[in-house]
Amino acid sequence: MLSIKNLHASVEGKEILKGINLEIKAGEVHAIMGPNGSGKSTLSQVLAGNEAFEITEGEITLNGENLLDLETEERAREGIFLAFQYPVEIPGVSNLQFLRTAVNAMRHHKGEAEMNAAEFMKLAKEVSKQVDLDPAFLKRGVNEGFSGGEKKRNEIMQALLLQPKLAILDETDSGLDIDALQVVSNGVNALRAEDRAILMVTHYQRLLNHIVPDHVHVLAGGKIVKSGGRELALELEERGYGWLGIKDDEEAAANSVN
Amino acid sequence: MKPAPTLSAAFLHPAGQSLPEPLLALRKQRGTALVDMPLPTRKTENWKYSSKYLKLTDDMAISLPADGKTGSGLAVPGYKVAFLNGVMLPEASDYPDLDGITIERFGDLDDDEAASLADRMDSTLDNSSDKGAVQMARLNSARFEDGLLIRLRPDAVLDQPLFIVHEVNADASGSAYPRIFVDAGRHSQITLVEEYISSGDEPVMVNTVTEFTLGDGANITSIRLNMEGENVQHIGATGVRQLRSSRFESHCVGFGGPLRRHDLQVRLEGEGAECKLNGVVVTQGKQHYDNHTTIEHVAAHCNSEETYRNIAADQSHAVFNGRIHIHQDAQKSNADMNNKNLLLSNGAEIDTKPELEIYADDVKCAHGATIGQLDEVSLFYLVSRGIGRREANVLLTMAFINELVEQIPVEQVRDTAHTRLNQFFDQTFEGA
Repeated sequence: MLSIKNLHASVEGKEILKGINLEIKAGEVHAIMGPNGSGKSTLSQVLAGNEAFEITEGEITLNGENLLDLETEERAREGIFLAFQYPVEIPGVSNLQFLRTAVNAMRHHKGEAEMNAAEFMKLAKEVSKQVDLDPAFLKRGVNEGFSGGEKKRNEIMQALLLQPKLAILDETDSGLDIDALQVVSNGVNALRAEDRAILMVTHYQRLLNHIVPDHVHVLAGGKIVKSGGRELALELEERGYGWLGIKDDEEAAANSVN
Repeated sequence: MKPAPTLSAAFLHPAGQSLPEPLLALRKQRGTALVDMPLPTRKTENWKYSSKYLKLTDDMAISLPADGKTGSGLAVPGYKVAFLNGVMLPEASDYPDLDGITIERFGDLDDDEAASLADRMDSTLDNSSDKGAVQMARLNSARFEDGLLIRLRPDAVLDQPLFIVHEVNADASGSAYPRIFVDAGRHSQITLVEEYISSGDEPVMVNTVTEFTLGDGANITSIRLNMEGENVQHIGATGVRQLRSSRFESHCVGFGGPLRRHDLQVRLEGEGAECKLNGVVVTQGKQHYDNHTTIEHVAAHCNSEETYRNIAADQSHAVFNGRIHIHQDAQKSNADMNNKNLLLSNGAEIDTKPELEIYADDVKCAHGATIGQLDEVSLFYLVSRGIGRREANVLLTMAFINELVEQIPVEQVRDTAHTRLNQFFDQTFEGA
């Protein structure tokens, strides 16, 4: 489904991704782990089409189509979905308006009829229950005044509404308490399907207890330095990034406090 | 140094004489006072950002004919008064006899009523602010051909909004001077909607004055929609005087033009009076819009709340000048002024200036002004969900003003505003 070959990307002249190779097949769940600054979030943003990053080399295809030729909105319509690490607050645009506009943009692209306000309201209420969000949130501004956990649940709700081919989850577990983590994980697991791939980007392996990946990759210094199965994540947790000779600022900081 | 240009004598010859004697006398007196007065220049503080857009040619001095053709007009719910080129059109107006409320043309007033009106005209507008230069509202006083006096007796309540549709027909060059005076008695209530529209393409000037006096406990909602064409220079003034515990609420929605100017002056003269002033302005192309507001806290225990939003696209220019003057005896005043501005292009310009003068010591006064651009991160978030660029731009731009549009208490006006805003978005985000 997704094929990344020798991907190099830089921001403001600084190279962040230094030759990523990754193949993801439909139905698979991949986890990319790595310390802060390894390029995890950059990879997510590049896949979604953030123009702040410059692709200097390499290619990305989605089902054979060159993703780099497509604008962000076209990628979304082709089935790329990025759950943001830091979802944006947009006061003045209601969640309902935002979600309906997005769903109808997708439907329009697929040649399906747009949903009217009443139809959409019904759907949105159902899906909001799936991620344990009070439907009253639909009337509020996009992510406006949401807690960290609510924002992440809203991201998963959007994925459930938009039914992407490839869902990229950027640090979706960060800032979640254990209950919220359970809700979000249930939502992600509900997304698992034979015709869909999921790419999880995370620093810690705890999310992977809830959403069990088929493949785990370790990203460091802008390259994938090790790939393996589920057990790789467990080993990483036990032995730390240092095991692979990777410096992890956060871990170092935590150790120095201890 | 070249002397500042003065108001051309051509502008000081009002044509129509079909007004009662006291109003003709007032008009003549105001005209005489303007002879040899210089026009505002960029050195005139109140016109600093707008004088260069003021282009009064002699062929604009002539009053546009009152028998010109009317355009499609706007279908309005409720009661309607139609003006064409500053003169009321009874045949196009539609309102019933109303209990406790009279709506009369200036020309239909008897001499006593006209004398009483003449005494009060201009009393809501400060004449000292354009020191040394023509105060443009006084040009209206020197030129009005007709006008509407709306009187509400104590406790009278108008059950539906009254729409005043001011159309200017610009098939020839000239000018028009619509004039409204609303005298709201104790505890009376009215919602007045003024819509300014135009037809024809010749350069014209519309110079308007609307005055409101509110008795104790009176409640007025004033809505002003400015939608005239690219050939219309619009210079408008609204003056308000409020007595004890009265409430004045204003919603102005303005679309830019070659020159758009609105002065809104509110005097809180009785204790417990309050005003709420909302304004939305959008400009594009090479358009201009200048809102100047003044709130005079004269009496104690008054509240004012002001929220204005400007959006400027392309090479357009928007101005907001908000003055709050809290007089020495106006203790316990509560004033809150907020102006936010959105620049949609690098070539657009917005000038904002809050002016606070506070002479009382026990007051609460807050003000804030910001100028920003559409947030790239928000834009990326929206398009990453498959929403098109144009629509994402519209959502974010609309988000900036939606709160104010939604507060307009008349649905039909909200609809009209949305329709016009969509045209603005179509042109601004074309090809996005």
